Amino acid sequence: MSQNEDLRIGVYVCHCGSNIASVIDPKAVAEFASALPDVVLTNNSLYTCSDAGQRQIQEDIKNHKLNRVVVAACSVRLHEPTFRACVAEAGLNPFLFEMANIREQDTWVHSHEPEGALEKAKDLVASAVAKSRFLTPLDMIKVPVTKTAMVIGGGVAGISSALDLADMGIKTYLVEKEPSIGGRMAQLNKTFPTMDCSI
Amino acid sequence: MVDAARHPNITVKSYTEVKRVEGFIGNFKVLVEEKPRYVNMDRCNGCGACSPVCPIEIPNEFEEGIAPRKAIYIPHAQAVPLRYVIDEEACIHCYKCVDACGKLDAIDFSQQPRQEWLDVGSILVATGFDNFDPSVIKEYGFGRYANVITAMELERINNSAGPTAGRIMRPSDSKFPNKISFIQCVGSRDERYNLYCSGFCCMYTIKNAVQWKQTYPDADITIFYMDIRTPSKGYEEFYRRAREMGIRFIQGRPSIITEDPKTGNLFIQAEDVGLGRTIELESEMVILSTAAIPRVDTDAMGSVLNISRSPDGFFMEYHPKLRPVDSPTDGVFLCGAAQSPKDIPASVAQGSAAASRAARILNADEWEIEPIVAMVWEDRCISAQGKKCGICATKCPYGAILVETGKAAMVTAAKCHGCGGCVAECPHNAITQKHFTDAQVISQLHALLRHEPEKKVLAFMCHWCSYGGADNAGTSHFEYPASQRGLRVMCSARMDSDFIFEAFRLGAGVVLVSGCHPQDCHYITGQRVGAERFEKLTKRLVDMGISPQRFRVEWISAAEGAKYAQVIREMDQTLRQIDPQALKEEIERTRPELERRVRRLPEIPDVALALELAKATS
Repeated sequence: MSQNEDLRIGVYVCHCGSNIASVIDPKAVAEFASALPDVVLTNNSLYTCSDAGQRQIQEDIKNHKLNRVVVAACSVRLHEPTFRACVAEAGLNPFLFEMANIREQDTWVHSHEPEGALEKAKDLVASAVAKSRFLTPLDMIKVPVTKTAMVIGGGVAGISSALDLADMGIKTYLVEKEPSIGGRMAQLNKTFPTMDCSI
Repeated sequence: MVDAARHPNITVKSYTEVKRVEGFIGNFKVLVEEKPRYVNMDRCNGCGACSPVCPIEIPNEFEEGIAPRKAIYIPHAQAVPLRYVIDEEACIHCYKCVDACGKLDAIDFSQQPRQEWLDVGSILVATGFDNFDPSVIKEYGFGRYANVITAMELERINNSAGPTAGRIMRPSDSKFPNKISFIQCVGSRDERYNLYCSGFCCMYTIKNAVQWKQTYPDADITIFYMDIRTPSKGYEEFYRRAREMGIRFIQGRPSIITEDPKTGNLFIQAEDVGLGRTIELESEMVILSTAAIPRVDTDAMGSVLNISRSPDGFFMEYHPKLRPVDSPTDGVFLCGAAQSPKDIPASVAQGSAAASRAARILNADEWEIEPIVAMVWEDRCISAQGKKCGICATKCPYGAILVETGKAAMVTAAKCHGCGGCVAECPHNAITQKHFTDAQVISQLHALLRHEPEKKVLAFMCHWCSYGGADNAGTSHFEYPASQRGLRVMCSARMDSDFIFEAFRLGAGVVLVSGCHPQDCHYITGQRVGAERFEKLTKRLVDMGISPQRFRVEWISAAEGAKYAQVIREMDQTLRQIDPQALKEEIERTRPELERRVRRLPEIPDVALALELAKATS
């Protein structure tokens, strides 16, 4: 738990080329973050998700003994898995990583309001840092896998996927609601651009 | 088709529908129902003796209704499986087929729908598309003028296995039409129907025209188009070939078609963009290139599979660029036209892509899932103290919580999906959600509202939908005021009343709670747990003296970026319309009651520390 350890938080503010940096100054956000308690290191780089950007994080984890990493960049839906894998490779539990979305939910929607966007970026970083203080290491839950697939729909896409799965040795149910498989494709005569038959 | 049926690893379940899906990645249970064929699949050998004796004739769906079929039928000569089926609605039970079947004794009217549960590790959705019904476009006269047909009808007429044995004839007088026109974008790229481009209609029309011209070199063929789209390999060359063959391409969407009732010929009025004037063209037959539209049962299928739809109505992928065949539900993949209109090469490619994505899971011995699950603080659970409670279990969509009085509630981690509904509903703050603990959320709240909170639009978002909607607003660059401050949890079920009280206590100007639409909820009924809470909360906040316009509940899907931006704009506007002095007074006036409401928060592990830290940093 956070109160029992010496927190060492690293904050990385991404420019995302000009996607973020054309609206706000990532350096200003990084400077702001450096004043937050327990933040021992801040960085701003052109592309934090790049090989160089990720390597920097990994080196900092080792050299500066970071035990929390916060990246202010794009959406968690895009790069949270990337950075979780990055910190895990450097020996940090992936759940000690936190992200602030200053692109999709900031610079991309407030381009006409750069000052407001900057203030918001600072708050989002403050929020991510605040959360990171209470993050705890977690282990993934392992579940067994039933080695069978189901393809719903027996048209050309469904048949293709079922054949590929079956060729890989996977038992596959091909479920079709009509009396015959084939779908729309079966209705066609010749098909473009080769003008061969469809079935 | 035959390859699939013969493959030792494929079990074809035809005439079968998916009814229910339970479980999670690697461990799905699917309830399927096989409809009764009234023909024994093992006994029927596909000989076809039954069909000719059947006295019933109804329109044949496979032939687009332009030829009849019997009540006992096979969809087409190459059907897989080649087994007859009785259309129960059309059958009059004359039993002539039974006699014709004779010794095989394959007809079985006692058959009932047969349900079974199947265990699978992954599900691939390849449910395809429907064709747009052009009869709604009155000006084209489909359904009124015999010689206005759809491209799919042409496919059947111009098919050696079709009802005319490939002999082209027009419906009104069975004559060969030598002068024909195709009309593109029927139901697509049209604000009245569908905005999207259907993708493959340009190519299938060019194919139909080329095929026609190859057989009948003297034919006079015109294609009315908006833009010709030939982006894939070999397509532009194919288009060029069509032009070189003498097929006429006119840029312009026809405005109206009229018919000469005597000849059955059609007059097309259109603007020829190239000439810059309107033209009229007489045709003996007109073929409408209809749009591919989402299947009529997309909504029902979506709720069974727990996957949502894009604004165009097709199933939505997890990420348009990085995970184009993944659905938002782990272990469920999309391929073919179910995801967006697609031609055959693209459907085949995506089928392979989805198979490969699924095989990652299916070839693993075990799969790792996120440990963002609920956890009970046993010392805080009143059930452990012998008191009756169990609220948590009633809110769990997955039956993952077991409550026995005398013991603390127990969460089965593998069953828990991490919506957080139990956490927010526990009246004793005895449950937490890993990675979304109260201390974490409270810390975020304080950080987001550290500066001029009364000017902020605080937005709670669920991970799957409304956060996705906010991302969608971003990728679409739909601007909204920078007064918004977003806080993400996994599901609206996790949005604890205490968080909202705390936000108002801190002086937040307006507060939004946003989550998935009920049918899109990633946690079956998580959204409902949240919605019920917010309904009560809306009244309670008003009772406490908080102006009703300061709290808003909205359901926003991951595709509704425009809606997300609009809601934030409206809330910012609302906030600006409140007199600042009055707002300040309201915040001060309501604070004591809000403080009373959240007085027990510091009892939750780490929350006292979070509050202390927040105070120190503000």
